[in-house]
Amino acid sequence: MTRRVLVTIVVIVTALLLQSTLFWNLKLLGVRPELMYLITIVIAILEGPNEGAITGFAAGLAQDFMLNQPKGITALTLTLVGYAAGLARQYIVSPSPLLPTILVGVGTAAGIAFYQVVAFLLGQLEETFSYAIRVTLLTALYNAILTPIVYPLLRRVIEGSRPTRVVRF
Amino acid sequence: MVTRQRPRSTRLLVVALVSISLAVITLDYRQGDAGPLAGVGTAAKSVMAPMQRAVTTVIEPVGDFFSGLAHLPSLADENERLTEENDALRGQIASDAYEQEQYRGLLDLMELRGSLDPTSVPALVIANGISNFEYTITIDKGSNAGIEVDQPVATGFPGSPMLVGRVVQVTPSSSDVRLIIDRDYAVAATVEGTEEAGLVEGQGDQDLRMSLVGEGTVIEGDESVFTQGYEVNGEAGLYPPGMLIGQVSRTIEAENVTQQYVEVRPAVDFETLQFVLVLQARTEA
Repeated sequence: MTRRVLVTIVVIVTALLLQSTLFWNLKLLGVRPELMYLITIVIAILEGPNEGAITGFAAGLAQDFMLNQPKGITALTLTLVGYAAGLARQYIVSPSPLLPTILVGVGTAAGIAFYQVVAFLLGQLEETFSYAIRVTLLTALYNAILTPIVYPLLRRVIEGSRPTRVVRF
Repeated sequence: MVTRQRPRSTRLLVVALVSISLAVITLDYRQGDAGPLAGVGTAAKSVMAPMQRAVTTVIEPVGDFFSGLAHLPSLADENERLTEENDALRGQIASDAYEQEQYRGLLDLMELRGSLDPTSVPALVIANGISNFEYTITIDKGSNAGIEVDQPVATGFPGSPMLVGRVVQVTPSSSDVRLIIDRDYAVAATVEGTEEAGLVEGQGDQDLRMSLVGEGTVIEGDESVFTQGYEVNGEAGLYPPGMLIGQVSRTIEAENVTQQYVEVRPAVDFETLQFVLVLQARTEA
């Protein structure tokens, strides 16, 4: 369990570091990916709604404390995104290897849209409507593009940190 | 592997986490920069700053390479310059050439520091804001170096200081700087060669927008826009006058004078910005 918590913290800190350094120069049509959304959804797919919600909350809170905006909005968004993605994974029966990519794309778009609505209601969003739409779609696309790289990576990391290894014969 | 869980406990967990999030939002909203949450934020940033600095040192050449690639399409029609750019890129990959460039940038900045404000604090850009909704950078100097909130931040060459932004948050060893392109940013400015003055406001990844005050001034485009010095009740403005903000890129005509504005292309390339000066004294640029 401790090992698991440590692994999650390392994953979140690494993603935050990359998000705030490398991806400033690696933009897709002027937009950066949202790595916190990406790792939350991937962990939710791998581990279910419980872990999805917890990881989302932790990742969101971490991101909130790095922003100069009211804290808590990302935590709220990602808790719900993680829970929803975990639930969705349980109900969708599909062997398609594209499934994580699609879930990440849809989940990110829904999450970013939700974030902007909450920020707008709190009077914190200064963006134009067209920018809001563009950011929602492009981050979703960017996250989806990154999924084939991040998903296998996170799966190995997460499975390596499971408390009990399942031995199959 | 999805373990079988009791859905009820999961739902309880989600409700609990959502409640905590809402409590955090409310607390932070009410207390602003003074509450315990702001303290946690400062602590978190102090922990991240050294790591961000380390990562930036390692990936900067790589990032510059990709950022250069991103700029290539706009140069497609200028074949000659494209080749040049390519050569420059190749040169940049070689680390000694890269270091030389860094050295030259730093020399320029130190010379600018001597002429602009000898007490200003030079700093290294170690990270950028993590969200698509705010435009900030993090620098490697903080309150230990005498940096305070609201101090203006500049870059540029000797004799031509350019406005980068202003400090919005300070930890002992790092500070966050809001860039002039942030949508929360506004600065009083004048247009070169005219009596025109107005407010320049950030528009995110689009050009800045400057509302015009004067009537009937002809602005042709390409004029430089500088910060304006002003005094209200004997209190000087935040920025020293005469710092370059950018060039007029487009004029928007409107029937109503109050709706007229010009678009200003920022002079600073924020994607490749490495060194900045945090101004301490209120001096003329």
